[in-house]
Amino acid sequence: MRALLGARAAIAFAVVVAALALLPVVLDLSPYDRNLLTLAFLMIAGSLAWNWMGGYLGQVSFGHAAMFGIGGFVAARLMMEPSPMPPLLAWLLGGVAAGVFSLGAHPTLRLRGPYFSIATIGVGEASRLVFTWWEDFTGGASGLSLPIDIALKARLYWWALGLAALVVIASFLLRRSAFGLQLLAIKADVDAAADVGVNATFSQDVVMVLSGAVVGLTGALYASFFAFIEPSDMFGFDRSIAFVLMSVIGGVGTILGPALGAIVFVLLRQFLLASYPQLYLGLYGVLLILIILFEPLGLTGLGLRALRAWQRRRPHGGAPRTVAAP
Amino acid sequence: MTSPDSATNPRSSSGAPGGDAPLLATRALSKTFGGLKAVDAVDLELRQGEILGVIGPNGAGKTTLFSLIAGSIAPTSGEVQLRGWKVSGRPAYKLVRAGVVRTHQIVRPFPNLTVAENVTVGAIHGAGRAPGPARERAAEVLAFVDLADRARDLPGTLTLAGRKRLELARALAIVPEVLLLDEVVAGVNPAEAMRLAGLIRRIRDERGVSIVMIEHVMPAVMSLSDRIVVLDHGKKIAEGAPAEVAADPLVIEAYFGKGAGGARA
Repeated sequence: MRALLGARAAIAFAVVVAALALLPVVLDLSPYDRNLLTLAFLMIAGSLAWNWMGGYLGQVSFGHAAMFGIGGFVAARLMMEPSPMPPLLAWLLGGVAAGVFSLGAHPTLRLRGPYFSIATIGVGEASRLVFTWWEDFTGGASGLSLPIDIALKARLYWWALGLAALVVIASFLLRRSAFGLQLLAIKADVDAAADVGVNATFSQDVVMVLSGAVVGLTGALYASFFAFIEPSDMFGFDRSIAFVLMSVIGGVGTILGPALGAIVFVLLRQFLLASYPQLYLGLYGVLLILIILFEPLGLTGLGLRALRAWQRRRPHGGAPRTVAAP
Repeated sequence: MTSPDSATNPRSSSGAPGGDAPLLATRALSKTFGGLKAVDAVDLELRQGEILGVIGPNGAGKTTLFSLIAGSIAPTSGEVQLRGWKVSGRPAYKLVRAGVVRTHQIVRPFPNLTVAENVTVGAIHGAGRAPGPARERAAEVLAFVDLADRARDLPGTLTLAGRKRLELARALAIVPEVLLLDEVVAGVNPAEAMRLAGLIRRIRDERGVSIVMIEHVMPAVMSLSDRIVVLDHGKKIAEGAPAEVAADPLVIEAYFGKGAGGARA
């Protein structure tokens, strides 16, 4: 039953990815829609990678903008004169740089819960200040323009889709692996995890590097996508908040949740910025409070409730006794 | 079965080689909290295949002794030896991987994982890192503690006795050589207590695990233990076969106060 469900989910996933890959070929997408989709793919990758820390490990980071910014600026510098690298190599190195940088937050891993979150705000804001000040590297407040040609910009749709698909698969494998189980044990009780042989410090370091590297890679693609980046956007505190929001809206700790949350976030942001720019952050605050109060699993939780209600109405639709995170 | 891997091999630390050394030993083990000597120069030895009972009044330092042996806290002085090799000062997870596993007086299942997943986390170090063998190992241990039919449930749905059996299963999945049991039998109804006591005996008899158990339920500790160590105010005040210890005037005094021993003698 479980294997069958897994197989069906895998087929559905493959169909969705293939359909999205063919979409720009079949339909004549407007540049606006195409950009929106590309951005959504990037945010799916970033939010799922944030979720490895915040959802699987239970360490809610408010500082992931630091990794996003480092990935973006390192890749941008590597693609610029005097010796421009091929984009793929520059992006990967941006991700590696962000992964290495996130190891610098190692001391914060001794903290748990809100203490960890507060420390990550410090790391994020310190990074923003340092990189805004470091004009030789980031261009300071005026930012950097990247030499992105039209053809690369067009191909970024598929690169972003590919990255999102890989991160979905990685999230699934991580959740199913022995290592993923250890992360959930650390999330529940770090001392009890040590009592069953889990090396919590090492596991957290590994997740932090992986999460930071993927968010850095996302930032690198994002930089190329906009062809212009500035520290206040890349390292901004609302960028960090965005990673938290996407997972919380969709459902922390699940796979479908952060992906859904990213799509909703991108659409909502576009709509709100266009219609009510002054209300934009306030509405997110209200949404966040409502979700935490009434449905901690976000959209995924609402979906599960609907599914259970539907199963109860059917005479033989035996509801599962426990809820496995999808 | 649980030969320690190279990273956790006690041989990598300093200390004398021990051919005839006891499986587990503490040497003048002490822990001071501020001015309080919670554990005061305690020597004890656990032999292969033995069940060693640790008793004593509340606050005697029993649980602190376990935390020292398990590596959850570092001793102020003295040391813990596994097969003659010093292991104190190592973090808890390394001791677990070397085969010394504890359970807690207040059970601590992972509430977000199913019963089977809880046990699988332990099995990762008992059966290798591959999830397949770990799951098989977990299923086998769950059947042993009679929880196989609850594998897919969350621990919160189990009774206290059920959660205690789950905690035993999680510890067994690690394939321990030494099991430190902190009041497993206490706090459940008499029928469940009998069942848990039977389970502890089977863990030793059928699985060859050596056991140190802290227990307040006297019938259980008297019938299960091969030897008993009595702690009072952090010090070891008596040691011996259950009948000897029960008749020791010092022990009676520790439990009932001065004069009680004289009245019995």
